[in-house]
Amino acid sequence: MSLSAAVSRSDERVTDPGRWELFRAVGSVTMVAPPAGDRIAASLGLRPFSASEHTDLFVLSLPPYAGIHLGPEGKLGGEGADRVAGLWRALGLDPPSDADHLGSLLVLYAELGEAADHSKSDRSRQRLDHVRAALLWEHLWPWVPGYLDAAAEEEGAAESWVHLSRRVLRRETLLTPGASTLPLALRAAPKALAADIDYEDLLDTLTAPVRTGFVLTYRDLIVAARSLGLGLRRGERRFALKALLEQDPSATLTWLSNHARRWAARHRCRPTVLADPSPWWEERALHTSEVLKILARRAEEVMPT
Amino acid sequence: MDHNDAEPDLDALGHRVSVDRASTEARGETFYPGASKYLLAAFPPKERWDDWVELDSRAWPKRVEKHAMLVPTTCFNCESACGLLAYVDRDTLQVRKFEGNPEHPGSRGRNCAKGPATINQITDPDRILYPLRRAGARGEGKWERVSWDEALDAIGSRIRKAIIEDRQNEIMIHIGRPGEDGYTERVLASWGVDGHNSHTNVCSSAGRAGFQFWTGVDRPSPDHANAKVIYLISSHLETGHYFNPHAQRITEAREKGAKVIVLDTRLSNTATHADYWLATQPGSEAAVNLAIARHIIETRRYDAEFIRRWFNWEEYLAECRPDLPGTFEAFEEVLAHLYAEFTFEFAAAESGIDASVLAEVAEVVAGAGTRFSCHSWRSAAASNLGGWQVSRTVFFLAALLGAVATEGGTFPNAYNKFVPKPIHTPPQPGVWQELSWPLEFPLANNELSFLLPHFLADGRGRLDTYFTRVYNPVWTNPDGLSWMEALTDEDKVGCSVALTPIWSESAYFADYVLPMGHASERHDTHSYEQYDGQWIGFRQPVLRAARERLGETITDSRQVNPGEVWEENEFWIDLSWRIDPDGSLGIRKYHESKAHPGEKLSVDEYYGWMFEHSVPGLPARAAAEGLTPLAWMRRYGAFEITRGQGAVFDQPVPDEELLDVNIADHGRVYTAAPKPDSTNIVPMGAPAPDDAGRRAVGVLIDGVVHRGFPTPSGRLEFWSSTLARWGWPEHALPGYIRSHVHPSALAPDQMVLLSTFRLPTQIHTRSANSKWLDELAHTNPVWVHPSDAVRLGVDRTGDLVRVETEIGFFVAKAWITEGIRPGVVACSHHMGRWKLKGQSEGIGGMMATVDLERDSSGWSMHKRESVKPYQSADPDTARIWWSDTGVHQNLTFPVQPDPISGMHCWHQAVRVRPALAGDAQGDIAVDTVKAREVYQRWMAQTRPAGSVSPDGSRRPAWLLRPLKPAAAAFAIPDVGP
Repeated sequence: MSLSAAVSRSDERVTDPGRWELFRAVGSVTMVAPPAGDRIAASLGLRPFSASEHTDLFVLSLPPYAGIHLGPEGKLGGEGADRVAGLWRALGLDPPSDADHLGSLLVLYAELGEAADHSKSDRSRQRLDHVRAALLWEHLWPWVPGYLDAAAEEEGAAESWVHLSRRVLRRETLLTPGASTLPLALRAAPKALAADIDYEDLLDTLTAPVRTGFVLTYRDLIVAARSLGLGLRRGERRFALKALLEQDPSATLTWLSNHARRWAARHRCRPTVLADPSPWWEERALHTSEVLKILARRAEEVMPT
Repeated sequence: MDHNDAEPDLDALGHRVSVDRASTEARGETFYPGASKYLLAAFPPKERWDDWVELDSRAWPKRVEKHAMLVPTTCFNCESACGLLAYVDRDTLQVRKFEGNPEHPGSRGRNCAKGPATINQITDPDRILYPLRRAGARGEGKWERVSWDEALDAIGSRIRKAIIEDRQNEIMIHIGRPGEDGYTERVLASWGVDGHNSHTNVCSSAGRAGFQFWTGVDRPSPDHANAKVIYLISSHLETGHYFNPHAQRITEAREKGAKVIVLDTRLSNTATHADYWLATQPGSEAAVNLAIARHIIETRRYDAEFIRRWFNWEEYLAECRPDLPGTFEAFEEVLAHLYAEFTFEFAAAESGIDASVLAEVAEVVAGAGTRFSCHSWRSAAASNLGGWQVSRTVFFLAALLGAVATEGGTFPNAYNKFVPKPIHTPPQPGVWQELSWPLEFPLANNELSFLLPHFLADGRGRLDTYFTRVYNPVWTNPDGLSWMEALTDEDKVGCSVALTPIWSESAYFADYVLPMGHASERHDTHSYEQYDGQWIGFRQPVLRAARERLGETITDSRQVNPGEVWEENEFWIDLSWRIDPDGSLGIRKYHESKAHPGEKLSVDEYYGWMFEHSVPGLPARAAAEGLTPLAWMRRYGAFEITRGQGAVFDQPVPDEELLDVNIADHGRVYTAAPKPDSTNIVPMGAPAPDDAGRRAVGVLIDGVVHRGFPTPSGRLEFWSSTLARWGWPEHALPGYIRSHVHPSALAPDQMVLLSTFRLPTQIHTRSANSKWLDELAHTNPVWVHPSDAVRLGVDRTGDLVRVETEIGFFVAKAWITEGIRPGVVACSHHMGRWKLKGQSEGIGGMMATVDLERDSSGWSMHKRESVKPYQSADPDTARIWWSDTGVHQNLTFPVQPDPISGMHCWHQAVRVRPALAGDAQGDIAVDTVKAREVYQRWMAQTRPAGSVSPDGSRRPAWLLRPLKPAAAAFAIPDVGP
């Protein structure tokens, strides 16, 4: 064997480039609205989103930002987003304004995988692989399964995209060495819901997934209002939730407690991986459910029907 | 890997997506649209450029679709050549709007206000649509429409006659904005005429000179995006001048933590974003630079190894310090002493900036290492006696730090520019144009264009046929009334031809006014230094490209342009054929088809040949999409040839280029091997061959022959043998020349007038018919510091002041602001457009109607009528809400040529006082007799080639010259006893 051949052989890592392309394509679906994104969806064999379906899912109902799902406020930006931006900075990259958007993270994941494949030294390849694993375990896996569960309840084209995304991510957890500890976002998560919480804090908490263990979409509130026979006010979720609580606090809190229990079951049903965050989410959702039950009882005592 | 039989295998799916993406992108289409590779938020994907759909906002709430073809072109409103996308309505085949072209590597889809405002220019109701011939006396304002054939025959026959009668020097083309690198020069060369005249000596020639003496290349290319420290001297490209491609990269650098240092007497746009704004006394900038240089030297923060290898210190020691050993250590000692006088305290006294601030800035610069990008272009260099030393001392800082052609450093622009070799290359003309390149200025960087009226008045020559091309010398130059006197004198200028899209103060005095196209109506190629890479951009008549997409065949841009608007390339080809219809003069062959001999060269063949043969990588890129290179450029508008040129000077010269080598003193290497063919003909210095005719190929350093720089020594010329041997030995090193407006040269009641800055939304004459830009900026008040306002008795902003120059005065409104250094006033150019009464044509939004009178005391101008709303095809002309169009201050400036660079020194020593009774905004008075006296006084400072030339030539042959005559023409003529 010639030296050049040996070098060449050692320089290459054989990975199917399609592995990374899938991440880029699945991520791009979240960022590119139809009709511009139709070509990507078609290539993935997905049912194409209509413009309104795409907007409903990725803009209005479930904006796919890590900051919303892992941040203590459950809002855009803040600590949840900063943590993700730190990864970009650690890579020597300027974090884009939407650094914690699911699409950005999946495209970055693909770029890291490709960069490692093309890397000429084992050391840099190992570094890139390490960063990619950190991206998966610290910034994607802690929240994306829950996000996909919520997205699966949306109507229309979301279903096929959710299904494919689950498969792609799930496979990646099998191919990528796992972490031995819970991700930092969950280890450093704010305390769970307490029964002595005040009203305004309760409203903030119920819309912050990392504090409750569940995702509460506007669509969920529509279901709640219908099932409870309450009027639904249009507006942001906190506003609509407040209106429901003011109309019938006990029934609304009970519905929310059941909602938390349903989410606990979802978390429990996910396949197990090493250092799996799902049990953490399940535990938090169960805890939330119990506290909400207490609050519902108190509300009933204060405002008997 | 994925074994669920009911679903597609993920590997197969990923592979399918990869294949789809590759095939899509190979077709030139976009697979992943949205955020582009340049991080734009969004842009129309390339595959939809044939039918881009937008909803008509005016039809809301109905959803009415508007379909457009997106056709790229290149902006023509400044020289940075940003990419534009024209939205051509598919129904009307009219341009609806212009936006940025995301495929352009330099501008990356971003534009300043002037780009989208191109739509105003092409729809301007006042534009010139047909060829016109003067019907009355010059300047009387009477015109008659003529056909292109009539105009071309008349002009062509004049030129033919002049050439046949060996009066080549009576033909001149005066350029404002070069459309395509070297095109007009080649037209003139094909005629055998040394008639190229540029505006550069009222613009950037001094800035260029300082860089050229160092590197043999007359423009810097700062890699701002990757710099740690960005150092900018006033009115650099990035501020009021324009250069959005640089500005956006400075923004990127700042986001990454770069420090920005701006030396500007005035608070410019860039200064507002700077970490350090140094409001220096005008003319003191070189002193500040040298104080920083001294700090770098004193603290030994310079890159000693870079200096040892690349400065021509050995030559300097041998020539200037033969008493010392020729060692680098000896040079280091000399270096420390040479700049010892430039202490921070000295610089503080000169600049008015506190010494502690200068020390802090020097420390920041010293810490930049090789990531130091710098730029100096106009104001300081263009305004002061010896201003060229400003850019020479700026580059000195980069050179000391070894930040030359490094990532984040400063490159010679030739590394980052690509000028494709054209289909025909005519030989150099055999004549020398004394009216542009007089003996008094052997080292002038560019033509002494602004002195032309005085040279004509001196009787140095006359002009038979004088073209102005996108240029307005009466308005742009200092001493414009002397220009008017020259242009109205038919003995001095036999026939004046204005090639222009719009009316101007100069066009009014022309014999022919010939309409030329704007950015979307003409062909050109462009390339500018904007990062460490090389690209070319293509300007094209967008309606031609749009119609061709629809299957039409267009052979002449007049078929698609409004009225009979033409483009210069086709015009010059046609005119050249009329000058030499049978080819007997040897001109026609340079404008003839290669594919079809005997026929005129078409622009399709011209650019088709160029893109096929002279742009590396483009044919393959186009072929991948099944396109010809020309079709590819018509579709995308720009092509990146290379990226990451790096330190070209440091590259070793290949062995095959080293034949019969001669290694001269100080390591200059000459070779008998021919120069390898290159399709990039970017201008750079041309070091002389050795006595045996071997060409300079490189420089020997540590036993290896490196490419080196295109300078006589092959190294960075710390000591300029050219300056030393051509009469200016005292300025051969980077140094400080006290300005003609140095405080010691001013009377107690005089101030400095800073007149060289621009408003970023205007660009000389060209933008003055852009209504959007006019609304943004339409006047030029005099900036006065509050302390001066009190001293001068100017009570409030808006009060009129009279500013008195050496040859006259102008009256303008005051703007009292702390954005200007005390003791200095400032007034921007671009403003004060005027037309004479009786001339109905004009630029509605910007041009006041004036009375211009002459009596025994000189000229006077009074505004007769302000701009006001008027009815036209454009309803917005009825909405003009402003009346103040500023003042044409340049008329009141005498010519002040720097004796070395030839640059007009713009700064004026003035007296400012409250306006007198009867003064009105825009009033001007000028004594052109005094203007002559000032001209003669400045000319007396020159050291003519006849007395200083070391070799009997007019000018060092190695220096750049836009159109370089044949070697024989360089000899100083024997004038006899």
